Amino acid sequence: MLCSAVIVAGCGGQEDDGFANRLSPASGANGGPKTMRYGNGSEPGSLDPHKASGVPASNVLHDLYEGLVITGDHAQIVPGVAKSWEISDDRLTYTFHLRDDAKWSNGAPVTAQDFVYSLRRSVDPKVASPYADIHSPIVNAEPIIAGKKDPDTLGVKALDPHTLQIRLKEPTPFFLKTLAHTSSDPVYKPAVKKWGDSFTQPGHAVTNGAYEMKTWRVNERITLKRNPYYWDNAHTRIDQVEYFPIDDPKSELSRYQAGGLDWTYTMPPSEIGRIKKTIPGQYHAVPTLGIAYLGLNVRRAPFKNSPKLRMALSMALNRRVITEKILRGGEAPAYSLIPPAMNDYDPVEYQWKNWSDAKREAMARKLYHEAGYSDAHPLKAEYLYPSGGQGKVIGIVAAAMWRKVLGADITPVNQEWKVFLQTTREGYETQIFWGGWIGDYEDPNTFLSIFNSKAALDYPGYDSAVYDAAQEASSHTPNGPKRTALLHKAEGTLLHDAPIIPVWFWTNHHLVKPYVKGFTGNALDNYYTKNFDIVPAGSSDRRAASDNKGASHAP
Amino acid sequence: MLSYTIKRLLGAIPTVFILLTLTFLLVHLAPGSPLDSDRPMPAQIRANLEAKYHLDEPLYEQYGHYLLNVAQFDFGASFQYKDTSVNDLIATGFPVSLAVGGFALLLALVFGIPLGMLAAVRQNRFADYAAMSGSLVGISVPNFVLGPLMILVLAVYNNWLPAGGLGGWQNYVMPVIALSVMYMAYVTRLMRASTIEVLRSPFIRTARAKGLSEARVFFVHVLPAAILPVISFLGPGAAAILTGSVVVEQIFGIPGLGRFFVTAALNRDYTLVLGITLFYGIIIIGFNLVVDILYGWLDPRVTY
Repeated sequence: MLCSAVIVAGCGGQEDDGFANRLSPASGANGGPKTMRYGNGSEPGSLDPHKASGVPASNVLHDLYEGLVITGDHAQIVPGVAKSWEISDDRLTYTFHLRDDAKWSNGAPVTAQDFVYSLRRSVDPKVASPYADIHSPIVNAEPIIAGKKDPDTLGVKALDPHTLQIRLKEPTPFFLKTLAHTSSDPVYKPAVKKWGDSFTQPGHAVTNGAYEMKTWRVNERITLKRNPYYWDNAHTRIDQVEYFPIDDPKSELSRYQAGGLDWTYTMPPSEIGRIKKTIPGQYHAVPTLGIAYLGLNVRRAPFKNSPKLRMALSMALNRRVITEKILRGGEAPAYSLIPPAMNDYDPVEYQWKNWSDAKREAMARKLYHEAGYSDAHPLKAEYLYPSGGQGKVIGIVAAAMWRKVLGADITPVNQEWKVFLQTTREGYETQIFWGGWIGDYEDPNTFLSIFNSKAALDYPGYDSAVYDAAQEASSHTPNGPKRTALLHKAEGTLLHDAPIIPVWFWTNHHLVKPYVKGFTGNALDNYYTKNFDIVPAGSSDRRAASDNKGASHAP
Repeated sequence: MLSYTIKRLLGAIPTVFILLTLTFLLVHLAPGSPLDSDRPMPAQIRANLEAKYHLDEPLYEQYGHYLLNVAQFDFGASFQYKDTSVNDLIATGFPVSLAVGGFALLLALVFGIPLGMLAAVRQNRFADYAAMSGSLVGISVPNFVLGPLMILVLAVYNNWLPAGGLGGWQNYVMPVIALSVMYMAYVTRLMRASTIEVLRSPFIRTARAKGLSEARVFFVHVLPAAILPVISFLGPGAAAILTGSVVVEQIFGIPGLGRFFVTAALNRDYTLVLGITLFYGIIIIGFNLVVDILYGWLDPRVTY
């Protein structure tokens, strides 16, 4: 259908993509500013690093602000404003040596005092950062967030303008990784004092990353320009960055195909098959630190005190059918909590991962019967999912599988997004519910901590002393075999108790034009435009496309 | 006429007040909170935010605060877009909706009125059938079908127009057409029906009997009478088209008010929903008033 339409429209047709020739960048070829144009999902709610949440905001913030450390090509920690650091023997004191040449976009130097101010602001209850608790390893962070201590008592100190000391209340092996999160970014105090909530607006904002604000039109685009004072400005090749909020993946794809975007935020699932065939070199599947799961509310019947029933539901679900027939985007079926994209960790997995379907289903039925259910007394429950997204189709498929394998009677129930969030947060009504989680930093703790009985995110109401103890101990044990054992114990306990049914691990889908150089997918899906370049086809022609294919993570 | 206008403007005040009160109650009664997000916050941070936005106070106190601010034309800070105010969002969104909607309305009138008149004059002949079947298609094809279709043909297969966003005039072409087609079809049908009716009325027979030229009969006597239904449609129609079309704005990535309104409701962005509702309310009341005044001027039978 596509080909005939192209012929009708009278197009010569690009040899590899079937669209009219859109393989030239917006600019840069004839002296104009080199511009990178990103599709960026939804409109960021805020560009204040201490108030922002969500991927679209952090994409922009990575270009605007630079923390003490940032993430590299493989999501590893690399120096940012801090050129080096030392960790004391007791692992409680971190001393950071800041670059002498780090500057704000108005030319003022970035100092240790800026980080002291910013970290205090990030935990200040008056600012009410949604990510304040990411700083809880720092001395006094928790009482400050709770309003019991003054933000000035936070364990951060400027030893001199270029030396910053951070003290932790307990050794925390992943602490450095939390510093790469946007909520650890510095903000420019005079701008915050002068402008208040609007200090992020063009003309007000002073930033220390490779770029600074140029324009911001809500629901249209955010434009960034080069920060001439950035310490590594000489190596920054792209002059201007544009972020377009496009919620609808189909509209985004059209705009990419029509040449209005160089990079897409995502892909419509229904188009993945066609795109893989027509423009394989531009398609990138990036396995990320994310999991889709079905939650089981263990606070109340029927899932309270019935691990066998929970396990029966988990085992009855044919995850491969879901990933291969429904998602079709190269997602990995999930038999553990921690995604395989997590570096330096081998997750605990269900043994029945490699069982035959018949054997797995027979065991599911056996557990179902042992839990006291049968064809005469089937399980009756509701599955709650939010409007939009994949919750609906997964629910229908899962309900069909549970009916077929177990004879259970599960009814999918829809709620509008905000209503759904409230219902799952309160946990009074839910039985089975749609859930998902994307890690904030690259350590198993970002997944394990959410099911701690004290965590706000513990939607299933999971409450296991064994789990809590292993998870808490693991977050204070230095990396090594001892920590790995604790992590395995926590993950294994959770999988055994089955308050959640892991379904699949997240894969992000991006289309990237072949003239964009330097793109490498990473587990956090974090990118910095300063590492990219735009090389128009004319200057490197054929090599351009093959380079891009080389970097592809497409399966 | 002046006293009528003043009376209508005074009458609008309780209407706006009731609108605002009902909307305030409805958005606050809707389940889900503006503070709920896919990343839930620890209880303490949530409590801090509730205090910051006065959400921990009784509803009547919140309403009191809100009314006090609105009386000073301050719609407050948006819950969703934390770095900006509702006033700023309306100020940036409305001109876009106004441009797209205004051009769409103009297009609808410029093509719809003559087409309807042509169909009436050539009733039951080819031109009539063509105009009527064309308008039937226009009314039946929703803009969420027309929009993506135009994008596919005009932007993706042929690089004639940008596929979305705002930039130059080219960005307005497709959204304006997509938005206008339905209104154009509607105007055509309205105009045809009323022209046919007017052509049959006694005063037109009189005009012809007096020996007036056909052109004079048509433009001086038929047109002003036949256009009245279109004028009364224009009040609510213009208000609807100018305050933005969610669907068209979404498809073409246009930062207009319609998109703000819907996302604000979905996000439970209380202040933004209330601000836009109030703004819409005033616009609709204003347009209805303008139409009623126009009516009195066009139709000598109507007096105030």
